[in-house]
Amino acid sequence: MSRYPKPMARLIEELTRLPGIGPKTAQRLSFFLIGLPRSDVHSIAEAIVEAKERTRLCSQCFHLTEEDPCPICSDPKRDHTFLCVVEQPRDVIALERTRSFNGIYHVLHGAISPLEGVGPEELKIKELVARLGPDVKEVLLATDPNVEGEATAMYLARLLKPIGVRVTRMAHGMPVGSDLEYVDEVTLSKALEGRREL
Amino acid sequence: MAWKTQAIVLRVRNLGEADRIVTLYTEQLGKLNAVARGARRIRNRLLSPTQLFTHGRYMIFPGKGLHNLSQAEIINSGQGLRDDLEKMAYASYVTELLDALTAEEDPTTRIFPLLAGTLSLGNAGRFPLAVRAYEIRLMSELGYQPELYNCLNCREKLMNDLYFTQEGGVVCAQCNSHYRDTVKLTNGTWELMKRLLEWDLSRITVLHPSDADLKELRGLMRNYIDFRLEYPLKSLGFLEMLQNIPPLEVKND
Repeated sequence: MSRYPKPMARLIEELTRLPGIGPKTAQRLSFFLIGLPRSDVHSIAEAIVEAKERTRLCSQCFHLTEEDPCPICSDPKRDHTFLCVVEQPRDVIALERTRSFNGIYHVLHGAISPLEGVGPEELKIKELVARLGPDVKEVLLATDPNVEGEATAMYLARLLKPIGVRVTRMAHGMPVGSDLEYVDEVTLSKALEGRREL
Repeated sequence: MAWKTQAIVLRVRNLGEADRIVTLYTEQLGKLNAVARGARRIRNRLLSPTQLFTHGRYMIFPGKGLHNLSQAEIINSGQGLRDDLEKMAYASYVTELLDALTAEEDPTTRIFPLLAGTLSLGNAGRFPLAVRAYEIRLMSELGYQPELYNCLNCREKLMNDLYFTQEGGVVCAQCNSHYRDTVKLTNGTWELMKRLLEWDLSRITVLHPSDADLKELRGLMRNYIDFRLEYPLKSLGFLEMLQNIPPLEVKND
């Protein structure tokens, strides 16, 4: 039995499938949607369907894209000898926001996790190795600095170094704007190791 | 009333946007799960003490379901174990095995020093020997100590020509036919097992067993543990896979 009209109850149920949305929030969102003008609701619904249908993975870097290859892979102004490996498409967005990187990307879609049973074969690693022709001079491993990310980086380094490509890892250090006394000892020791001359 | 205890992080899972559920093996309370609120935010104080293999002092507020981790101080960050692929794989196996074999909040006081000692030996480069000692001792602490001195069946003192059964230890040649699954046990591996079980953990560093003995022991212990496990361990597959890639000769420049 439901206190809601059937279509609204269905909407609430569907909304609770979204991450971080519980039944209460789903009810609030559905009241909000019902209260919107018809055109706004159509626009939201169309946006969801269109995003799902027109977004796919780039066949080269596996980033999300509308056209294949993606605008980054097909941009001749970018440095195609410099390849940055990341875990997720959102990492590409984060790096692009810096405007400091002019190379190309490769998205693994995950990280190696021995405890969760995620091995290298579940990631886009074979595809990465296949991309490494003589043109690629450097591979920058930009996986997360946590256990899974480090394991992935170490695994890739072991796999790629024998190919003869230069393999680099993102620096570890103190967050900009932080106080030294509050930085944890692991980060501090990494920052000390990675110090550089001014 | 808060619990203050030393513990080692066995497992970490993400919860919601920025929280973590941490499985800790504590010194006094055994294994427990606690929520570390905000522990995935970059400036959170719990970010680094909730990394896998960290040994620290933790303050936990008991809750009805999950407990709450409120403060933590690192004793040993475990970074050495995370910075090396082999060590990381072995340490993952060590923590996963303990997680699989123990129930929550069931304190067995000798397990914590065993876990800490094993990880510390491993960090000092003594994997896989430390793992073999850990396996046999952990099983013993949990009530599954393999019989190594008298035949499991006829109780005669064991001499040589020995066999090992996953059902509980060593049997003599005469009794071998009573068991379906026995494997031949060499005297070298038998001696090694006795030392790994009895010697003080810090003393096993003087042992330098042959690769053949270590390999034999690995197989025996795998069968022995599998016999009592309800599900296969995920970290074992990773460990095996690593053996197929050559180790990195030069560190990153």
